[in-house]
Parts: sequence; structure tokens; C-alpha cells
Amino acid sequence: MANPISRLKMVIFGGRDERLSIPIMDGALKPNNVIEEAPVFALRPGLEDISVSPDGELYAACGDGVYRVLPDGTFAERAKYDRDVTALAVLADGALAVALGNAVVIDTAHAGRQIIERCDGRKLTAVNALHATPNGSLLITDGSATRPYPQWSNDLLEKGRSGRLLEYQMATRRTTTLAAGLSYAFGAFADSQGRILVSETWRHQISIVSGKTRQPAFSGLPGYPARFAPADGGGFWLSVFACRTQLVEFVLCEDDYRREMMRIVDPRYWVAPAMSSGHDFLEPLQGGGVKQMGILKPWAPPRSYGLVIRFGSDFIPRYSLHSRVGGKNHGIVAVAQRGDDLYVLSKGAGRILKVVLPQVREGLEL
Amino acid sequence: MLKTLSKWRYQYVPDHIVGEILQKQWMENAVTALVLIVTVMFFNYNVSNFSSLSNITDTLREASELGFVVLGMSVVLIVGGIDLSVGSMFAITNLIVLYCVQVLALPIPLAIAVTLIVGASLGAVNGVLIGYLRMRAFLTTMVTLIIYRAIADLLSYQWAVLISSSMSTSDIWDFIGSGTIFAIPSVAWAFAIIGIAGHIFLTRLRAGWHVMAVGGSRRSSYNLGLRVNRVVAVSYCASGVFTAISAVFYAARLGSPGADTGRGMEIIVLTAAILGGVRLGGGKGSVMKVVLGTLIVFLITNGLLRLAVPAGASRVILASILFLAATIDIRWYKNRHKAIQEFYVSPSYLELPPIPTTAADPASPYALNDKLRQVEVIGLGMVESPEDVILDEVDNLYCGSRHGEIIRFFAPDYQRMEVYAHIGGQPLGLSFDAEQNLYVCVGGMGLYRVTRDRQVEKMTDETNRSMFSIIDDSRLKLADDLDIAPDGRIFFSEATIRYEMHEWPTDALEGRGNGRIICYDPRNKVTTTVLRNLIFPNGIALASDRQSILFAESWACSIKRYWFDGPKRGKVESVIASLPGYPDNINRASDGNYWVALLGMRSPAFDLAMRKPGFRRRMSKQLPGDEWLYPNINTGCILKINEKGNILDALWDLGGVNHPMITSMREHRGYLYIGGISNNRIGRYKLNGADPNFVVSAGRHG
Repeated sequence: MANPISRLKMVIFGGRDERLSIPIMDGALKPNNVIEEAPVFALRPGLEDISVSPDGELYAACGDGVYRVLPDGTFAERAKYDRDVTALAVLADGALAVALGNAVVIDTAHAGRQIIERCDGRKLTAVNALHATPNGSLLITDGSATRPYPQWSNDLLEKGRSGRLLEYQMATRRTTTLAAGLSYAFGAFADSQGRILVSETWRHQISIVSGKTRQPAFSGLPGYPARFAPADGGGFWLSVFACRTQLVEFVLCEDDYRREMMRIVDPRYWVAPAMSSGHDFLEPLQGGGVKQMGILKPWAPPRSYGLVIRFGSDFIPRYSLHSRVGGKNHGIVAVAQRGDDLYVLSKGAGRILKVVLPQVREGLEL
Repeated sequence: MLKTLSKWRYQYVPDHIVGEILQKQWMENAVTALVLIVTVMFFNYNVSNFSSLSNITDTLREASELGFVVLGMSVVLIVGGIDLSVGSMFAITNLIVLYCVQVLALPIPLAIAVTLIVGASLGAVNGVLIGYLRMRAFLTTMVTLIIYRAIADLLSYQWAVLISSSMSTSDIWDFIGSGTIFAIPSVAWAFAIIGIAGHIFLTRLRAGWHVMAVGGSRRSSYNLGLRVNRVVAVSYCASGVFTAISAVFYAARLGSPGADTGRGMEIIVLTAAILGGVRLGGGKGSVMKVVLGTLIVFLITNGLLRLAVPAGASRVILASILFLAATIDIRWYKNRHKAIQEFYVSPSYLELPPIPTTAADPASPYALNDKLRQVEVIGLGMVESPEDVILDEVDNLYCGSRHGEIIRFFAPDYQRMEVYAHIGGQPLGLSFDAEQNLYVCVGGMGLYRVTRDRQVEKMTDETNRSMFSIIDDSRLKLADDLDIAPDGRIFFSEATIRYEMHEWPTDALEGRGNGRIICYDPRNKVTTTVLRNLIFPNGIALASDRQSILFAESWACSIKRYWFDGPKRGKVESVIASLPGYPDNINRASDGNYWVALLGMRSPAFDLAMRKPGFRRRMSKQLPGDEWLYPNINTGCILKINEKGNILDALWDLGGVNHPMITSMREHRGYLYIGGISNNRIGRYKLNGADPNFVVSAGRHG
């Protein structure tokens, strides 16, 4: 508890820390099972990011390669790299920009291979999202300066605040820092009006960056926001890779337990959100997750969850797609819309799902 | 170093006592007693010769007179009403007794009797109006206050001169007014006797319970069949009688037919009652509260007088005290259970050895497999929470259910079922004795048995109370599993004495030695506790030497052995010190070994939390139960062990498809029947190579 006055109040009057409260999922975020029931379009272990190119092809970053996903769900290799690909973007002219953890590699059509490894004197550490803006630049988010991309859970429990949003100008080959000191930046977007958005994951909000300042565009998300994707008809899609629980918020306040847990317990079994869950009984269990009469209730506290939110251009959520507790398609880190189809990448299940939007909208009575 | 200190602090400092003391009934009086002590000390310091004998005698005398009226008012408050007319009744009865004694010169007993009857009648007017005619107490007694005051004024006008001019020379009268026995005034003795009688009445006699019940919930009392109207009316009568008694002593002491007798008394009396802790809304109160409240208020008013505080100021102070007392009383009453809950959960330090590996490694005895995948399912969706299962000699299957029933499935296909007996609670461990009576440990109730002709009989639901336990541990809260010794004695476990059946997860969070093993001897019907301070003792099985029992301690993940007979009698030895999960029931296998059910598996995050009591305490206070870190009871398994503690086999249902949670298993004629308290089915697993004639029955194996 940071504030000594609120701590004193708690000791005298009892009650709970306000930071333990979590916004409920209601209104546009009312749970459904669209993602869980969606048909599997493609599956392959190691899927990390997807993107639709300007000519309508679906590209997926999987393991150390980038593949074109064909309409029958098979993968056709487009490029191979020496390390795991952590983010993917296709530029306006069809060039491929990938992030390899601590570097960004762009294979342009006419200017050869451009590699970005540092910005403003600091090396890139955990590049996790790329976005090609309409006016020819590339937005890069570097999640943390202390922990590489696979160790995002460590960064959460260490309350990391070293994320950055960078912009790379293709023409001048210069990288500038648009925002620093972010609580884990995990997605960037430039909307049709030129406003730049970044998702600040550990603060459960998406912010608008303008000049040197940033303001929250939507805060109080019930989960951890990840990458953005443009949506047809204005607005954007935001993928949320896991949902918050009061226990994790509580553990974030308990320094002694948290430090010892990080020291002696295997990271797979930490009290922290996960991309998928339910594989092993060594994972922590919360009271609401106990099965009664063979049933795991869908509103149990989620160790992993699948959530995609459709925002309007006014930054107000319009509707959302869920995979509830007990489902397989959790850990949604990226989506891509192509016409009436939304491709949803579930990192927890290693699959790409295809959601037919008109049916969904009809089902949700929108 | 810090860790060792922390370990010692949690093992030896008994902070579970704080919560246990707080939830005791008599704790409420402790606060008031403290206020009284502070008041006494304050006035002792400020007022000269406060603690001299004469002052104490005078204080006791006047306070006892006030105490009678407060007692009457409290009875009315407990019933849920209020009596504002006590001051006026006091005035009238004062005049009556003076008239009878001084003017009519009646014998003292007769005069007192007349006065009491008058007091009762005055109270009865209130009683009839409020109890039978259902008028509002506040308004009615305010009206009677005015009317009785008017009557008192009239009587005073007529009799004052007569009374003042007569002289009484009765010794009894003088004794009543100013006599003492062993330096304690007569009125204090009278108050003590009547107070003790009143306490017995309110707490031990049925009529007193009716009073408390009507005040606690009028509607429920009516539905129960209590004569609510009569109880209310009689309590107002009682108020009148007590006021009259007080007036008798007052009259004997002062002999004054003053016009202002009893004016404003109702405020002081109300303050005393509420300050003592008698609840304004009804249903709560006791004689002790009356005594404490009276003493405090009297000392304050008298003390302020002695300190020469002006009368107006002293009234303001008294009114503020009344306001404060009423506010705090309501707040405390509403939040008491929350405060108790806050303090009650006292997690302790529990360090377990490292988790034995369960990886699918052929070298590990606990290796994961999916042997239970081929389990047949019995009663799917038809039975809920069959914690334990047992079969009789003709192969019928019996199990408990969360509806408090023993369900019987008929052999050989177990498709047909019926309710064999209805007991209540949650039936847990089952066992047959030599005559095929079914003994059941019922969670929330105790040890019961169902005879061959399906009669339910209670064996025992209490045991001897430990001397130094604050909680009344003579009751059985969570009788879990049992087994029957060769001489018929029944050894059963009580998982925890601090929590009820439905609160068992909170006991998991505490990890304290809250449980015990109890022995019931049906020959002389005596129940005694044989082992204490066990950490959630669960399964019990008679060992092969028939002189000892194996028992499981769930949160300690261990199995121990206790000798109740023979040369090693009284000893406890460890059989398995560290299991990868939480053991539940233990039952005998056909080859002389034992089956153990693990109701859940250990996880590193929870094991770490068990070494951090402060973390668990804060978690239990700040998070709702659904969010707590729990032991993983979504997965279980069955182990086969021997008495030396070797693991001979492990049966898992890896996907958790059919049997996610296992609390019990029973071997019978080559099959293993599996039950789980969170399941809605029973499993039947074929054991290859097991004795096809093996039947568990008290005759042959225990």
C-alpha cells in the first residue's frame, strides 16, 4: 500500500484497498462465447501475430518465420529469420516489417533490409507490436527495458514501467521516442484522424499520445490490453490477452510473498495471468474456480481469458467477443479483419479462429 | 533468522484466542465494565472521600433503588417496547406506600403488597393498551406519563399534609429505609436477590426465553405459537411492579411526598439501560447489563452533583451520553459479526516438505496416468455429494448425499436407487458394524447410525469439553470419518472445532491443528477425545494389528498411526510424512494394504502461502471467498499404501473427465467404488487381480 494515510485508514476502519477493485464486464463487455465457439481457421504451435496486407492476404508470424495463411488454413512460408518473431506488420507497399524481440527488421522492396536496434541511446529489449501508419511511418512498441518479450509475466509482477512507443520514419530512417515510462506498451495504432494510440497494459488502459503528453483514451479495462487492428467503418479492434483478478491485484500489493514466489516457484505456476490455463494441477486455483457437481462456472475468476473489444472512433466500446473461463481459445494477442471476417489469434491455444461478423452482430442484436 | 523468528511467532503466539474471545457472549459486557472502571477511577480521583465506607453504602443504596426501575424498563425494552411512564408510576406508588404506612398505619407487609398491586395495575394499563390493543408503545406510555403525573399531583395535593404530619415508628420500615446487613444496605440485598432471580429467569427459564424471543423477532414468535400479546402485557406489568418496589425503598428512606418525585426519571433510566447494552430494538439484554448501566449512570450523575456542576450542565452531559451510547450500540450491533470475522481467522505457519514429484516418470511412485479413464459411472446426476460409499454383504451400494440422505443403489447393475434413510446435515464417513448397522459421521450433526430396519439413531453429538479451550468444543461441528475397533469402540475424526461444515475452506487457509480424534464406546455410551490439535484429521482406518488406526491429516499432507490398545497404547507415529496432495478417506484393500484418496493436489503457490500467515490473513480480510487462493481440489487421485508408508500404486483421472475430485474409495469384490464430495456421480473401477470375494465388514476385517 503506497499511501500511508490510506493505510492508516485501513488499519483503523478496516475495509479493503481500493486498488483491489476490478471493473465488471457489463454493457458492451457483457460476456458471450463467440470466440470459443468460432471455427478454427488454422492451427500451428508458436503463433504470435497476424496481419492483413494491403492486397488482402493474411500473414501470420509463427516461431521464427512469417507465413501467408491460405484460405484452406495451410501455411505458405514467406520469410525466415534467425530468432523468434515477436511482432508483424505489412507496410503499404507490401514490404514486411517484423520484430525479433530486440530488433526490428524491415525488408523493403527497393531500399534493402533496414534493421533497427536502438533508439535514443537505449537498445530495444522486448518489441511486441508494430503498426504501419497511413503516412508512411512505423510505430514500434518496446514493452520493457528490463525483461525480454517471453518474460512479460516477470515484468508484470515487478511492476515494470519502462515501456516505450517509438516511431520509425521509412524515408529518413530515423527513430524517435513518442512516449516513455509506459507500464508495458503492447500495441500501437494510428487512427484515421492521425491520433496515435498506445496500450498501456499494466495500467489497463489505452492512451492517446500527442507530442510529449499522453492522456487516457479508455481506462478501467477489466483486462490487459494488447495489440490493435484497424476495423472497417472506423474505429479499431483491441485484443485483451488476459483478464484481471482481485487475487493478482492483491499479490501485486504483497511485496514479500510476490518476491519469494518469483524466486522459488516455476513461472508457469505463478499467481499471475496466463495465456492458457487448466493444464496442470500445479497451477494456482481460486475459490470460485472449484468445480461443483462437475461444472466449472463460466464467471469463475479467470486465470486465462479470451477477449476482443470493438471500439468506435470515439473510443467507446461497441461490443466484444469472449471466450469464457473453461474455454480453450484464450490469450488473444492479435486480430485482423478482412471484409466480413475477423481472424482472431489465440496464443494460448495456438490457433487462428475465424469469426463471421454479420452473424455475430446479429447474434448480439446490434 | 527472520524466517525462524516468524515461524516461532506463529507457532507459539496464540493469536487465534483473540477472535475466539471476541465471539463470546460475555465480551459485550467487558466494554461496559471497562467504562465503569474508568468512571470509578475518575470520580475517585476528583471527588473527596469517594471511596469511604459511608459513601459506598449510600451509593449502593441509591443505585439499587434506581436499579429496580432500570430492571423494569429493561424488561420492557427487551420485549421490544419502551415505558416512558416509569417516573410517574414511581411518584404514585411512592405516595400510596407512604399513605398506607404513615396515615392508614397498615402493617408493613400489607402496605407493600398494596403498593405492588397498584404498581402492577398501573403497568397493566400500559400492558393492555400496548400488548392487546396494539397501540404504539412510545405514544401510549407518554400519555400515561402525563395522566399518571396528573394523578400523582392530585394525590399529593390531597395527602401531602397528612403524610408529613404522621410519624411512623416501625422498625421494619426503618430497616427497609436505612438498614444494612454486613454494611451492605437492605435495598442492595433485595436487588441482588431479585437480580439473580431475574438472571435465572431470563437465561434459564422458558418464560424468560419467551421474553427474549418476542423481543428478538415478534413475527417468528407469533408463528412459533408464543402468546405474544400476553408476554408484552406482562412485561409492562412487571415494569410497574419493579417501579413500585423501588418506590417502597425510596419512601422508606426519605419519607417524602414531594411534588417532584420521579420527574425526569425516565431519561435517566433509559440512559442507564442503553448504556449498559440493552438494545433499543428489543431482543437483547441481561441483568448484568442493567447493573453496569445503572452504576455508571448513577456514579456520573451523583459525581457531577458532588463536583458542584450546575444542574443544567449535568443534564446536558447525561443527554449526550445517552446519544453516544445509542449510536454506538446500533453501530456495534450491526457490525459485530463483521468485527468478529475480521479477527477470527488466524492463519498459522505451516511448512511442508517439498512436493513429491508426480511427473509421468516411471521411477516416481505417484506417476501420472489415466487409469481411471475407464471408470464406469453410477448414478450420474442422480446423487449429489456422495462423499463416501460402502457396500453391504448383498452388494447394495450406500452413499451419503448433500441433502442429508443415505442413498441406496441396488445390485447388480446399480441403476435403481432409493432413499435409504434421511438424517440431515452432510453424511460423510460410512462404516458397517458386525450386525450390519450402518454408522455415519454426519458433518454438522455428529455420529449417527442407521439400523437394519432403517431407523436413524443418534450415537453421540458431544464429547468432553477441554479445560482450556475458549471455544465450547463439547459440540461436534464436523465429524468426518470413522472406523470400528474389534471391541466395538468407534474412533472418528472431527476435522475442525473452529469452523462449521460449510466453512471448511477457511480452515484450509488457517492450517492450524484445529481437529481431533474422538472415541465413542457404545457399551457405556461415553465419548472421549483421544487426540487433539491435529491438522484437519480426515480418514480413519483400522490397521491390520487391530490395535491401532491409521489417520490422515489433510492440510498437513500426512498419514499417521495411533495405537489405542496393546503395548504401544497412546503412541502416534508417522506413516507417510509428505504426500503430493491432501489425503481424505482411508479404507482397507483386499491384500492387507490401504487405499487413500487425495482430495486435492498441492500447488507451489499455495504451499508458499501456507508459510506466509500475514499474507493469508490479509487475503481473508480483503478478498471475497471466491477470490482466495485455494488448495487445488479440482484434481484428485487414489493411492495404495502399506503400513510402512510405501506407495504401491497411484490411480489418476488425468483429464478430470469422470472423476475430477475424489474423497473416498471402497474396495468390494474386485471393484473399487469411488466417491467425491463435489461430484454428482459414483465411479466403479475394475481392479485387475484383486480378490473377487473381498468384502469390508466389521465381522471379518475390523
